[in-house]
Amino acid sequence: MTSAPLALPSLPTRNRSAAAQQALVYAEFVRVGFINTLAYRLRYYTGIVTYFIYVSVYYFIWKAIYAHSQRIEGFDFGQILTYIAVGWMIRSFYYNNIDQDLAEQVVEGKLAMDLIKPVNVQAMYLARALGESAFRLILLTLPTVIILFTVYPLRPPRSVVHFLAFFLSSSLSFFIVAGINFAVGTLAIRLKSILGLLRAKYFLLELFSGLLIPISFFPHAFQAAFAYMPFQYISYIPVLIYLGKLNGVFILRALGIQFFWVVALISLGDGMWRWSSRRITIQGG
Amino acid sequence: MKRHLRLFALYFAQYTKVRLAYKGDFLIAFFSSMVATVLGFGFVWVLFSKIPKLQGWSFYEILFLYAFSITPLGLFNVVSWNLYEFGEQYIIQAKFDRVLLRPVSTLFQVLFERFRLESFQEVVTGLGVIYICIIKLNLKWHVSDAMWFAVMVVCGFLIYLSVFLSLTAVSFWFEDRVGIVPPVFNMLTFGRYPLTIYNDFIQFMLSWIVPFGFASFYPTTHFLGRQSFRTYFYLTPLVAIAFFTLAVAVWNRGVLNYSSTGS
Repeated sequence: MTSAPLALPSLPTRNRSAAAQQALVYAEFVRVGFINTLAYRLRYYTGIVTYFIYVSVYYFIWKAIYAHSQRIEGFDFGQILTYIAVGWMIRSFYYNNIDQDLAEQVVEGKLAMDLIKPVNVQAMYLARALGESAFRLILLTLPTVIILFTVYPLRPPRSVVHFLAFFLSSSLSFFIVAGINFAVGTLAIRLKSILGLLRAKYFLLELFSGLLIPISFFPHAFQAAFAYMPFQYISYIPVLIYLGKLNGVFILRALGIQFFWVVALISLGDGMWRWSSRRITIQGG
Repeated sequence: MKRHLRLFALYFAQYTKVRLAYKGDFLIAFFSSMVATVLGFGFVWVLFSKIPKLQGWSFYEILFLYAFSITPLGLFNVVSWNLYEFGEQYIIQAKFDRVLLRPVSTLFQVLFERFRLESFQEVVTGLGVIYICIIKLNLKWHVSDAMWFAVMVVCGFLIYLSVFLSLTAVSFWFEDRVGIVPPVFNMLTFGRYPLTIYNDFIQFMLSWIVPFGFASFYPTTHFLGRQSFRTYFYLTPLVAIAFFTLAVAVWNRGVLNYSSTGS
């Protein structure tokens, strides 16, 4: 159909320095990720409905709960509603299927095609997912934000500075999720069918990232353990920044830890890939 | 009927052999799937560590409702695998040609060609949690309650099946699904909490349009001894049969409309 106006121009790859050329290769993967998603754009229209349903369920649950209390764990109703809605909004952006893609490549024997490309496989997957997320930002996140703000009484960000920090923080969420997904996805190479595992990871991320309920609602032992895990930096921390529950130096500290997890998880994924790719069996192909 | 039962047993045995060929693989799928189901209860558990009741429902009552909603869903998940991939596998790749050549009901073949065996854990987990709730809530169950319970699980299964079967049958007319299934699938979440917390529109929709309320909430109220939805409880089998009949009719109509892609 009318995909032409949205398609980015193909990038020329000759007469550049080696590093620039490398960057252009991955930029091309970003473009491919964007275009591929474009082919499935119809699904994203119903995706908007899906996100609206998610938020609506929790709207009614919290409404029933706040009928009897003013504040729970420092959240009033407007804050908890905003917390849930903004959490789902950024999820519509940072979410990706790198793990499932990898698992499918393994099962269908297409992984061979990834191996023959002279690129870093993890960087390629990350670049494609980035393209997909850029697409989601325009055609899923943006409409979802507009609808949710229209239907529900949501609060604006605490300030412009908070908003900018929130924006940076949720961009880092993308890399944390992508890092986790790639690392988990590499398990498919040794374990073959990992769909059950991926389902468990899906629910684990929903709960431990704070998407369903703020981390401060968890029992203290859990909160203490979560401090040493990357999950709460996916959703809980960015949304706390949005709400203004984190301020000044604490925002900087949170962004620093997020950045640490990005580096740690990408290194982990790189290690896992090296470890697993020594044992690849290609099925047919 | 007898022939179909025999065929079902054969299909099931055959597929189980296929899956168990890789035992370690299956065990990982089974246990990770169980972890996923248990994590699903996490929200309710964390929430009730902060609040005593949700609109008059205690922790174990909500837990019962949640567990009841996933028990028939587990049964549905066992047979629904092909429904999700129906448009892609059977219509676009024209696998349905082969189905039509066999002297067995098309619906029977599509449902029972593959089983998601690990979803049996959802039934087991659901029943286990319900058992705990019965003890904690000190519910006195008679034999008749247990029988009604079994009936309601089957009804729930039929309701889930009817809704998704109708949606799947749409691919007979429109090959390129716009993905109407995921939003409806997510509506399942509504059925895990008391219907009374929602507004009238959602309550109506979950009762008479996408009747997930009859697959979880209405049966649960009766088992918990809440009498306000008695009529709905006894209506459940009728609703299940009505929606299932409708879904089969839509399916059969769709089959008549099928034209092969010819590959």
